[in-house]
Amino acid sequence: MIAVLALALGVVLGVVLDPTVPVGLQPYLPIAVVAALDAVFGGIRAKLDGIFDDKQFVISFISNVLVAALIVYLGDQLGVGGQLSTGVVVVLGVRIFGNVAGIRRHLFRA
Amino acid sequence: MNAADERPEAGERPEVSERRRGYVPDLLTELFQSPLEPGYAEAARRRAERAARGEPPERGFSLPRAASLLVVAAIGFLLIVAYQHVLADEPARSRARDGLIDQINDRQAGTDGLRRRADQLRDQVARQRDAALDDRAAARLRDLEATTGLGRVSGDGVVVRIADAPRPVDAVTGQGSGADLGRVLDRDLQQIANALWRAGAEAIAINGQRLISTSTIRAAGEAILVDFRPLAGPYEVSAIGPDDLHKKFTNSSTARTFRQLVDAFGMSFEVRKRDDLTLPAASDPQLRYARPLQTVSPSPTTVTPTEGGR
Repeated sequence: MIAVLALALGVVLGVVLDPTVPVGLQPYLPIAVVAALDAVFGGIRAKLDGIFDDKQFVISFISNVLVAALIVYLGDQLGVGGQLSTGVVVVLGVRIFGNVAGIRRHLFRA
Repeated sequence: MNAADERPEAGERPEVSERRRGYVPDLLTELFQSPLEPGYAEAARRRAERAARGEPPERGFSLPRAASLLVVAAIGFLLIVAYQHVLADEPARSRARDGLIDQINDRQAGTDGLRRRADQLRDQVARQRDAALDDRAAARLRDLEATTGLGRVSGDGVVVRIADAPRPVDAVTGQGSGADLGRVLDRDLQQIANALWRAGAEAIAINGQRLISTSTIRAAGEAILVDFRPLAGPYEVSAIGPDDLHKKFTNSSTARTFRQLVDAFGMSFEVRKRDDLTLPAASDPQLRYARPLQTVSPSPTTVTPTEGGR
């Protein structure tokens, strides 16, 4: 419940502050969103499994975002930014699917 | 990229396989079945151990709890920022497109105005020249202009009408599908024009665009350009020629080929006799490098007596 409130608070903050994304950070935005979604679904699944851990959640989110950003940054420097972005999205997408499948099993027993 | 993903999962693989299967599942099964961070399970085990040792579980508003709420708020923030970013991009894109469309319309209007002005000036030049020249020279000049395509001509001839086949429509999506084989290509118009010349045509115009010796028929993208002016289908190739022009063209191999195309792809193709065709003058060919010799009397390349009919 508190988590939902915190999420709403973040959304409200984003709407109110309406920050402009610096041009240099724009390529990382979609990757960061996907990494964040991965952490969120991982957390929800862990919660449903009854093994949620705050420290683990925080660390997984931060490391996900950082590693994804690092990979994209490296890719940009090496000239394969697009491909590595695709790689990151595929990997995180597979994990999101897996976690959603776990959540689904909990919610619908199917 | 999957290989890179294999690494973090590989750490827990032996344990998973021992516990659940007793054999190592393939990579994809592994990925789809245990994407959960192994850290969660480990943390849960630590908690269970601590509980077993009799220590009280951490409760209340601890630092990690606050941090995780902060992260959730950050995620909400991130999502909304990304959403607004995408939203902000969209109008910029459509604005650019609208601007381009406006520019195109402006330029087209400008071109039309210039063309009208050129036609007026050409009329004026023609009138003054007719006044300056004696009848014989003026008649000779008009003949030359008619032959070269720089003057309007009229006479009996044929009109060849050719149009794209209706696009094949995908029954499911309702959109065009497959290769569009029934389109009229620039090559089709070239062949028709060549066959008409060969059948004895003396003047040819495609959709009101008169062909002269340096005319080009080519394609740019999906549009057909005749002398660099884009044409839209259906295409009408009008030709003035001898009485047997219709018969000769209809019996030509080109016409036969097109009748086969009609059967195969559903294009429309018809040849009609038409009396009293009037073909417009071509635009000035604009000699830039070639200079007419002084000994050659009235050169038709620099002036056009009649209004260009476009």
